[in-house]
Amino acid sequence: MQIQKKVKKIALLALSTALGASLITGCSSSGEQASDVQELTIYSGRSEEFIAPFFAEWEAESGIKLNIRYGDSAELAAQILEEGKNSPADLFLSQDAGALGAVAAAELFTALPDDVATTIPATYVAANREWVGVTGRARVFAYSPSLTTLPQSVTDLTAPAYKGILGIAPSNSSFQAFVTALINEAGSAAAEKWLKGLKSNDVKIFAKNSAIVEAIDKGEIKIGLVNHYYTWEVSESLGREIKVDNGFFRTGDIGNLINVSGAGVLASSKKYSAAEDLINFLTSGKVQEEFVSKTHEYSLLDGSSAPEGLPSMTEIGAPAIDLDALKNVKATQDLLIKVGLL
Amino acid sequence: MPTGLSQSQPIAPSVNRRGRNWRVLGLQFSTLLVLVFTLIPLIYLGMRAFEKPFPEILDLLFRTKTLEVVGSTTLLVLIVVVVNVFLGTILANGLFFVQLPLARFLIIPAILPLAIPSYVFTYTWLAIVPSLSGLYASAFILILTTMPYVVLANLVGLRRVDTGLIEVAQTLGLTRIQIFFRIVLPQIRLNISAGALLTGLYVMSDFGAVSLLNTETLTVTIQNMYKASYDRSAAAVIALILVLASVVFIILEEKFKGKGVRNAIARSYSVKNLLISKASYSITILALLATYVALAVIAPIYVLVSRFIGNPESIEYGDLFSAAVSTISVAGLGALIALLLSVPIAIMSSQSSSRIARSAERIVLVSHALPGVVIGLALVSLGSKIGALYQTTLLLAFAYSLLFLAKSVASTTASLSQVPAVLKDVAASLGKSKFKVTTLVTMPMALPGIGLGALLVFLTAMKELPATLMLRPTGMETLATQIWSYASINRFNEAAPYALLLVLIAAIPTFLLSLPERLESKDNKIEIGG
Repeated sequence: MQIQKKVKKIALLALSTALGASLITGCSSSGEQASDVQELTIYSGRSEEFIAPFFAEWEAESGIKLNIRYGDSAELAAQILEEGKNSPADLFLSQDAGALGAVAAAELFTALPDDVATTIPATYVAANREWVGVTGRARVFAYSPSLTTLPQSVTDLTAPAYKGILGIAPSNSSFQAFVTALINEAGSAAAEKWLKGLKSNDVKIFAKNSAIVEAIDKGEIKIGLVNHYYTWEVSESLGREIKVDNGFFRTGDIGNLINVSGAGVLASSKKYSAAEDLINFLTSGKVQEEFVSKTHEYSLLDGSSAPEGLPSMTEIGAPAIDLDALKNVKATQDLLIKVGLL
Repeated sequence: MPTGLSQSQPIAPSVNRRGRNWRVLGLQFSTLLVLVFTLIPLIYLGMRAFEKPFPEILDLLFRTKTLEVVGSTTLLVLIVVVVNVFLGTILANGLFFVQLPLARFLIIPAILPLAIPSYVFTYTWLAIVPSLSGLYASAFILILTTMPYVVLANLVGLRRVDTGLIEVAQTLGLTRIQIFFRIVLPQIRLNISAGALLTGLYVMSDFGAVSLLNTETLTVTIQNMYKASYDRSAAAVIALILVLASVVFIILEEKFKGKGVRNAIARSYSVKNLLISKASYSITILALLATYVALAVIAPIYVLVSRFIGNPESIEYGDLFSAAVSTISVAGLGALIALLLSVPIAIMSSQSSSRIARSAERIVLVSHALPGVVIGLALVSLGSKIGALYQTTLLLAFAYSLLFLAKSVASTTASLSQVPAVLKDVAASLGKSKFKVTTLVTMPMALPGIGLGALLVFLTAMKELPATLMLRPTGMETLATQIWSYASINRFNEAAPYALLLVLIAAIPTFLLSLPERLESKDNKIEIGG
């Protein structure tokens, strides 16, 4: 009988702990008027390390407290899709356009009014204004200073000069977004030919962009296809200078694709105006400049300066791409599987 | 930690009383409730999968890619299970039977790797061997990760081995090898089998190691479906294949272990008389242990410590402390819920071969093969409809209990059914009801095993990442989420303090896991006295 009592005790204890816990944590998201907004809930696919200082700045400015849920962009998108109309999130900030597109396709974003994010050029805003770009991330080739012949176009990379010294990360979403753009531009057959060319050129496969940059630094390979900010990220993580530079292909080459991180306001939110205010803050000239200097990303504003040591967006001559069209990478994956790179 | 030891010796029929019926009903009801809980992820998967038109489902199921992935998943599970069963059994039996210096402490480093998440294993090993990639690399990391399951399972069984039989065999002149295969192995086969089961299911559900090492298993495919094509239905279809694979694996395990031999009474001799003091044995075991500890404990901890020292940033002790507190409290609550959920199933299946209990047990095992992201999304789907509960510590703890219930059920069932049938019969013949036999005789004796189950859940829950990311209260960070957050931007130095603290905290329950061995030699008599 003693055991029975013990079990009862444990059960009671568990129940009371549970109730206590849910009381403490469970009282968020209730219907409020936009005027007396106290708190805003953000799902952030951007890492805390980079974005938290900006959120803190806005909190101080607006007096509104932010509840921030950090996670992986794609997983947060899946979570928002699963939550549907019940999502506690007011705003979703994503690493890439793909995750935003998935939420927009499920009609879970509200269209942003025309007076929101007026600074951002139409190229970086979704067709129905469900989301806007916040920062730009350029595809580049990272290379070792010892490499003498630099490629002019991604198509050059299948040449014998790059045999066995090129690294790519085919499972990475930024590489897949690039291949999607390539398929959209040049057609599936051309993309397949290019991928097969890489493969027969003994391309080296990596799991992550950063691993490519590290391998170049170590001299294992000479060149790799990555996003522009990985040279800083790797250098900062190693705490030293690295022997890797960023290079761009010729103007307008598809290899110079610019993808964006961006934000959208959830249709289920009751705090549109506060969330829109945060988007205005993130897309304001002042904050955009800080993104350039602090996180080494591109500002999306016309005529803005580039991260240190890199050409400006106009100089890069990024190809004109419909970012909305980068959302479905299924065909890309199928192609990568077909040629044996995934 | 064997599972499915459902038969018990016939108990003398006792008088039907209303109280007893009521209790049996209560037990059946709570088992049914647990069954409903464990069905949540499976129902969710079914609903998501069949949103797709049927021809598309068939396409997904029978495309070459799927078959290849099923093949590589099967191969990976087989390699890890076979190697672990072989080496883990040798290691555990060596630690138990061979005279070794400081033997009681040697068990700790052998099960300490339980504290290290597979993604930390992989990151640290990639720092040592950057070219690590592919199926065999994944097998290597997963062998290091899961070896403790087999070692622990072995040790649990060995503590109950009838040593009297071994002495008899010795006097009859059997060699040590013969004694092992004829006397010891049959008695611990069920335990080894359970360890193999947990290992295999773990390998199926692992994401951290395989994804970093470019090995596509079913779990990686599921994750890719979410990440690349945002196709939840396709992911659910692949997850159903994973469910099927785990069912096949569970059935194979049940067939393989057969009936097994259960010892009729607890052992009556101290193991001390049986210790093998032979240099060649000691050296072999020590060498095996040293190799394992070097690869699975020293190597990762060395990398973490050197990252920790090389960290140029100052550590935010406040963040570290609050992450540790939330990790311990949510994992603790999760272990407690898992314990409460496993008790009715375990009592049912140790008392009789109840069909409800048996199916609940099987479903619990199936859920164990599902990746955290699936359980996470299932509870997101359900939880977001219940606003007050969503993204609370309670729901996260509940997710942990669903994810790791198998560990708790396995060891609870095992310890309940390892209670000598003779004692139950005696109690029954003295007129005690089934229920009283359970509460007065069985439960007290099984408590250490039940505790072990809860500790295992606690340990694994502390490392859990995907469900934690989705279900934690907004703003709360655990040690695992902090490690992830730094590692995802390559700040390994800054992730190191969190990883080290995780290992340090997990070392405490790991130490407790190795304790029963020491207590038992003292308490042997008490235990038999009931």
